[in-house]
Amino acid sequence: MEIKFFDANIYLGTQMLGSYKPAVKASELLEKMDELGIEKALVYHMSQFEYSPEEGNKMLVETMEGSKRLFGCWTILPPQTEEIITEDFFGRMKKNRVFALNLFPVHHRFLLKGIVFGQFFKELIKRKIPLVLSMREGGSTWEMIYSLLNEFPELLCIISDLGIWGVDRYTFPLLEKYRNVYLESGVLSLHEGSFEMAIKKYGAERVIFGSGFPEKYPEAAMLHLLHSNISAADKMKVASGNLETIISGVKL
Amino acid sequence: MKKSLQLAKDFFKYGMVKDCPVYDMHGHMGSHYGIYFPSSSAEKMVNAMKQANVKKLVFSHHGCLMSNAGNQLSIREARKFPEYLKVYCSVNPNYPELAEKDLAAFDEANDVYAGIKMLADYHKRPITDAGYKKAWEFANKRKLPVLLHTWGKSVFDGPELVGEVAQKYPDAKILMGHSCHGEWEKAVGLANKFKNVYLELTAVLDERGPLEKFIEEAGSKKIFFGTDMPWFSYHNYIGAVLGAAQKEEDIRNIFYINAEKLLKSPGDA
Repeated sequence: MEIKFFDANIYLGTQMLGSYKPAVKASELLEKMDELGIEKALVYHMSQFEYSPEEGNKMLVETMEGSKRLFGCWTILPPQTEEIITEDFFGRMKKNRVFALNLFPVHHRFLLKGIVFGQFFKELIKRKIPLVLSMREGGSTWEMIYSLLNEFPELLCIISDLGIWGVDRYTFPLLEKYRNVYLESGVLSLHEGSFEMAIKKYGAERVIFGSGFPEKYPEAAMLHLLHSNISAADKMKVASGNLETIISGVKL
Repeated sequence: MKKSLQLAKDFFKYGMVKDCPVYDMHGHMGSHYGIYFPSSSAEKMVNAMKQANVKKLVFSHHGCLMSNAGNQLSIREARKFPEYLKVYCSVNPNYPELAEKDLAAFDEANDVYAGIKMLADYHKRPITDAGYKKAWEFANKRKLPVLLHTWGKSVFDGPELVGEVAQKYPDAKILMGHSCHGEWEKAVGLANKFKNVYLELTAVLDERGPLEKFIEEAGSKKIFFGTDMPWFSYHNYIGAVLGAAQKEEDIRNIFYINAEKLLKSPGDA
């Protein structure tokens, strides 16, 4: 049975401090994906994080060049400043093939609270738009995520870039309590036994394949998934099925 | 996977390659204060080894490193699976009398001992500290592997200190665990300058770039595979090496040729 991969964690562009063999153009990324056997990817642009969400979101759309294999993920900021979330925001998402949103509250200096995003997050829940919560430096903190889900328990969240030190003590309670919380598999698969344990306890529906390219080796998460101690059907769910289901459920 | 190397294709297809075993030169065992490890017992670790054709793991139990219990715990667990497990004698410089006692009893456990382990960043004494002196002399005299935890800019086990001990103990085989993490250039410099200093891959492989640099600038004969098992998974780390190394010879050197040579006869490595 051939396993198709839909990667939930790739960025285009380069880091300010230098990147090792990044994909600057869509064609470069697609070539890499072909080499690896990754069919589709949810992508953002590093400039959304490091430079400016406003400009970075535009750069993402330009860089994706309308590729049908790439699905955009824009970065949001508090609606009150009207830098990102403006009139017809969801219409623009649709027009530009953007199916998910991410945010980096520490680096972009805002709070992940209902007072900031209340109405907007209610809209995300209604529209089943996934919110990617990166744990990379400058992303979210565990306290922020716990507080966010306490306020918006139905929010569809993909927690990505899990830390190098195992994070099961943080993630398992979230998986237990909130049915719409998912884990991205890249760094999860780094931790011996954690990937399998998360699936055993909470189901393969809760883990989504992600590689972390260009910072991480996609071969690492792929080889791990292909030879992990889960069923073939569960491997298919993690590799692409779960993300396909989420993306096809988005209402823009 | 459209990898050009047949060896890489075989790893992806079968999860292991019979004639390309893996030796893990950096492992631990047991539970840990800061992390939940689902597979930290000797039984579960050996099971994980079998699934990736990992022939040998050299480890130091968390209980030996993070308490003053001595090395009996490592020895006891290794003897359950002598074919798979070898032990680093952990040395805590805060308890020099205990280290001395363990070194004196080294030959009583020479069926499992393979070298010495120093975790200076955690024990908060530099690898040049007097508390380590006996262990260094012991390793130097016997030409033993010494697995250091090394980290960039560390005042306990940073690259400058590695250079000092490498010079002073030229017959000890120094494996720079984590390869002076972050100070990759200096780690490569040490591996090139000293015949007895080697790069080790634990916590190196979660970032693209450093291993490619190591292979290019130090050569794969100076690189050992390691995972911090039960911290990091074999298939994840094997996949990372396959992502970085472009030549079969390099993959084989890293996975087993270097380690087989070192464990067989440390003096000739």
